[in-house]
Amino acid sequence: MSQKRILLIEDNEFNRKIVRDLLARQPYDLLEANDGEAGVAAARRDRPDVIVMDIQLPKLSGLDATRAIRADPDTAKIPIIVVTSFALSGDDKKAMDAGASAYLAKPYSPRQLLDTIRKMAGDA
Amino acid sequence: MRSSVHFKLLAAFMLVALLVAVMGAMSLEIMSRMAAQSEGMHHAHERVTAARQAQHALALQMNYTAMALILRDEETIASILKENNRLNTMLAEIENAAPAEEREIIQRIRGAQGDVMATVADVANLVRDGKVDQAMELQLKSGYPLFRQVEGLVELVVRIEEKNMAQQRAATARANRHAFYLMGGLVMASLLLALLLGFVTSWSFILPVRKAQAFLGQVAKGDFSTTVTVDNRDEFGELAAQMNRMSAQLSGLYEEQREAARQLETLNTQLARASQAKSEFLANMSHELRTPMNAILGFTEMILDEIYGEVPPEVRGPIQDVRTCGQQLLRLINDVLDLSKIEAGRMELSLTDYSVPEVVETARTSLRSLAVEKGLEFTADVEPKMPLAYGDGKRITQCLTNLVGNALKFTKQGRVAIHARREGDEVIYSVADTGIGIPADHLDQIFGEFRQVDASISREFGGTGLGLSITKTFVELHGGRIWVESEPGRGSTFYFAIPLRVAEATEVV
Repeated sequence: MSQKRILLIEDNEFNRKIVRDLLARQPYDLLEANDGEAGVAAARRDRPDVIVMDIQLPKLSGLDATRAIRADPDTAKIPIIVVTSFALSGDDKKAMDAGASAYLAKPYSPRQLLDTIRKMAGDA
Repeated sequence: MRSSVHFKLLAAFMLVALLVAVMGAMSLEIMSRMAAQSEGMHHAHERVTAARQAQHALALQMNYTAMALILRDEETIASILKENNRLNTMLAEIENAAPAEEREIIQRIRGAQGDVMATVADVANLVRDGKVDQAMELQLKSGYPLFRQVEGLVELVVRIEEKNMAQQRAATARANRHAFYLMGGLVMASLLLALLLGFVTSWSFILPVRKAQAFLGQVAKGDFSTTVTVDNRDEFGELAAQMNRMSAQLSGLYEEQREAARQLETLNTQLARASQAKSEFLANMSHELRTPMNAILGFTEMILDEIYGEVPPEVRGPIQDVRTCGQQLLRLINDVLDLSKIEAGRMELSLTDYSVPEVVETARTSLRSLAVEKGLEFTADVEPKMPLAYGDGKRITQCLTNLVGNALKFTKQGRVAIHARREGDEVIYSVADTGIGIPADHLDQIFGEFRQVDASISREFGGTGLGLSITKTFVELHGGRIWVESEPGRGSTFYFAIPLRVAEATEVV
């Protein structure tokens, strides 16, 4: 059985590298997208097992991308972890309303992100 | 001509008083005329009486003469003379102040009476001589006709006097009537004049007052376009002119004030826009700062977790310092973001059930390393059997962390202690330290933004002075309150009380 695939939708190279490094020694394949539109397209094309979605994205915001993925029956069931840099009261609710499965406030601890990914992938 | 209200009133009252005086004078005049009339009546009456007495005396004289012919005594003859004298006296009385015509008649009476008396003397002598028949004949032939003549004349006088009296009476009645009409007319004229004067005077006051009233009503409504026109050349006219000047001045002031208000509004809008721009800038900056912070803290954590391989012991320390400083920087960024949200009025609480022991534990865990580093005793205790609370647990944790961070920062030795206990419907958190304390005169300022006790404090201890202000805002958003007890040199205890179950977020300005 092939490894589970994680789709990371994040526009900042360093933050992508964190996840890349974090998952390097983990049993997951990492797919990356730079913006919301590319993220939604990748989700449809690759059907990842878990999506990690930044909330501030070019072209299509993380919330809108989450809604788009939830609206498509082919991708509607994929767990989505929404990551925001606002960390404000209410943002978690917005993310959940848009269809997020979990919510992480930036700056997040990589350890915490890994735990969440594992949980979402059903490996915890 | 300018005439004052004073003058107008005085003139009106004087005119009425003058009328009363004229009426008084005329009454006096009429009274004295009536007295004269009555005197004249009395006089006429006396003269009529005198004329009748003269008539009576003459009749008696005739009677005594006739009696003398029968009785033939001296006493009766003397009576004739006596009546003759009485007749003369009366005639003299009438003659006095008699008109010429009457005086002539009286002269004729005197003449005829002289003849009568001569005849009577002859008759008396014949009677004394006993020649009664001759006496009687003389009397009948001469005396009697003479008597008749005198009697006719006296009758004439009586008639004249009676006619005079009648005339006098008619004149008096006429004069009375005349006086009555005159006085009546005068009274009516006075009444009419007084009414007219009162009417004219009062309307000359009422009209300008009514105009002024209407005008002031307009002015009070903010309508300065009208003016009041009062033609009176008295105090009212002056008052109206003054009111017009006042209205013009008010209008100017009103315009100025409106202009000032407009400027203020513009300024206010500009300020609000500037404040909004500042808040947005701060929010954006905070966001832009967080993205690299995420990378810094993330890489640091992964290095320390040895994801990249084993960390040499001499490198671990500096990397831990990077993490500590990064977390500090993150707290500052959070504070700035919170402040911008608070200032923009967009700070909202996220209300859920939360656990008080968890809040205390989170605050303690996040700052334990700092306390250990400074060698401070650091304790936390929560009243047992604390029920589940309802509020924004994250924000309350942030408040407690702020207070504990301050306590650790300002305490060089001793201890920092967190307590949480329930009191009625409230949870009271307290953070006690044995730090530098706060002077009494600064206690009420420390919750303001950017406030520290003085500049040397920020040099020695650092910090932005945002923490307490933000903490206070969150406490108040929960409908709670915050206070401090402190003694310089001995330490401070900060308290905040939060309703165990928050009803809804309270507006904080």
